[in-house]
This record gives sequence, C-alpha cells and structure tokens, in this order.
Amino acid sequence: MSQTRTIMIECLRYDPEQDQAPHYRTYEVPFTDEMSVLEGLQYIKDHLDGSLTFRWSCRMAICGSCGCMVNHQPILSCQSFLRDYYPARIRVEPLEHFPIVKDLVIDQSDFLGKLESVTPYLVPAQPLTPEDGPNLQTPRQIEDYLGYAQCINCLLCYAACPQYGLNNAFTGPAALALLARYNADSRDAGQKTRMEVVNAEEGVWGCTLVGLCSEVCPKHVDPARAINRNKINSTQDYFLRFLAPFGRGS
Amino acid sequence: MTPAPKTYVRPMNRWWMRHPAYRRYLLREGTSVMVAAYALFLLAGMVCLVLGETAFNLWRGFLQSPVSVIFHLAALAAFAFHAWTWFKVMPLTTPPMRFRGRPVPDRMIFRAALWAWGIASLVLLVLAMRFL
Repeated sequence: MSQTRTIMIECLRYDPEQDQAPHYRTYEVPFTDEMSVLEGLQYIKDHLDGSLTFRWSCRMAICGSCGCMVNHQPILSCQSFLRDYYPARIRVEPLEHFPIVKDLVIDQSDFLGKLESVTPYLVPAQPLTPEDGPNLQTPRQIEDYLGYAQCINCLLCYAACPQYGLNNAFTGPAALALLARYNADSRDAGQKTRMEVVNAEEGVWGCTLVGLCSEVCPKHVDPARAINRNKINSTQDYFLRFLAPFGRGS
Repeated sequence: MTPAPKTYVRPMNRWWMRHPAYRRYLLREGTSVMVAAYALFLLAGMVCLVLGETAFNLWRGFLQSPVSVIFHLAALAAFAFHAWTWFKVMPLTTPPMRFRGRPVPDRMIFRAALWAWGIASLVLLVLAMRFL
C-alpha cells in the first residue's frame, strides 16, 4: 500500500442556473501513487462536494469521455496521475473551445454535427449484400488507414486547436482525420462526396499547422498529418477542375 | 422540445499565453514577416536596377551601411529558423512515401531537406564567389 499524500485540486465550477460566469474552487484531496486525476475528481464528488459534475466511463483511455484541461494541457483524466503533478496544485478545467454546460461538462453537439458532415462510414462503389462475402484487404491496405481509425472522439485535439477556438466553423482535427481515414480505405468509394468538406475554407484550409492536436492525441492518430496531406489532394482537385472541366462534374 | 441549456463560452483573449506550443507556432509564422520584408528589399534593388546606374549604386551603397548589415543578420536568423521549423513539419505535409515497401520515417525527410538546403546554399555561395 503506497503512502497517502494530499494534493490541492482547483476545479472550474459553473452552474448555469446560479452563475453568470465560471469560478474556481479548491479541494484538498488525499491520494496514493496509483490514483489518476479522474479518481481525484471522483474522491471530490464522493467525499467533498457531490455537486461537482464531470463525464467519465471506462477509466482506461478507450471511451474518450473524461477529457479535460489540467494546467492548460488537454488530457484524459483517467490517463494522468496525481503523483506526476504533486507537490504543485493542479487546475482542472473543462476542454477549451467548447461551451460549458456545467462544471467540467462541455457541449459536444458542434463536433457531432461536423463528424456527421464528413460521411464517417464506408461508401461502397456498388451496393453490397452479405451474399457478396467479406470485403477483403491486404495488411498493407489496412496500414493505410489504421492509425487514423484509432480516434475515440475524446476532443482533446479540438481543445488543443486555437484555430477552432478562434473560429468554430473550422471542421477541426478529429473530423478531418476521420475523413482521411475513410478516404484512405480501399473498400471506400466516397472520396468525391467528402471533397466538398475538404476543399471548403473551413475544411483543411482552416488548419495553419499549429500541430498541438497531434501531440495531445492519446491514441496517436496524428490529425495534423491527416489534414495537411489532404491539402495536397485539395490542391490537385482544384487544378484538375480546370484541366478537365467536363470530366469531374461541377 | 426542451430549450437548449444555458452554456458559457470562455473568451479567447491572450490565447497564445496558454501553451508554449502556441508561442512556438506564432514565432514560426512571425518569421515569415521577415521573409516578406527581405523579398521587398530585393525587389527595391531590382527597381533601382531598372531606374539606372545611379539608383542601383545608391542601393548598393546602402547595402554596406550598419542598418543594412543588422537587417541582413536578422533576416538570416529569421530565414534559418523559418527553414528549420518548416523542415520539421515537412513530413506532415508530404504524401505517404514508401522505400522498399516500408514507410519513409519522418527524420529521413527532415534530414534530406537539411542536406538539400545545405547543398543549395553551398552552390549559391560558390557561384557568388566565382562571378561577383
């Protein structure tokens, strides 16, 4: 049993029914070496202040629910340990750039709309039925998209992206990485439908390669790479339109 | 239908103070101002060349002034930093590349860019010393 120490956790609090603006409240939390930031928050909720609101589910960096800002760094609170911050106090805030619903809970609906806009599913060239059998891929074909397919929609990349914060019309890192994921899939034929999102001012061109999205991604999806590679496709698409005006639709 | 809950959106003022990565990014982009300034300076030289010998000699005379020397040193530092940081992010912008069936690692692309930069600079220096 490891030794119990006490860390100060400063939490952003916002109650839409009471507060005009958020404020901070500090809690003294006893912790042991194996306790994550999420467990620290759960201690507050169970023993110090039952009104503290936050999302969590799996506790093992799979569900993507517990993302928050710790000392201005977007992290999964289940994957970060209190021992790594001690003896300094930590400041826990909801993910940046999203509207705060209550305390550490943010409104994700803007992202969900964007996710829908990138057609995040396979669009087969011809309609397939189960009788057509499995849609086989070589290991090399899987490799082309597997990295991008690891996204858990935790939104840490959006919290890291100042371009999204300054203009939330920007489609953003995770949605554009998932767009690249389906475009790179050999079973998919939906590239043309997704091109409109890619080419838009709010698409890949909204990215100025700050690059922090890829650094904070807990699943190493590398959205910065996905977006900037699609800038090449977007440029090609733009010029090919002039070269073949009759062959590529309007 | 239930009304949308009242939410709070935090302002973005002084956003660059929130993370060192934002300041590094602004510094990287900021050096391109110096790149543009140097391009304008060269353009001014071209205009002087078109205007005639007196104007061009005046521009060349200015090149040797302390202000110009400081400007050139600052521009060199800005260019070096700009190029270095650009090469660092270059692997993110290149299409997927493979060599003998394996993906080309990022550090290879970075190093190749540095070599190309070094060789191009050397060739330019040799040409300048040969003809100027």
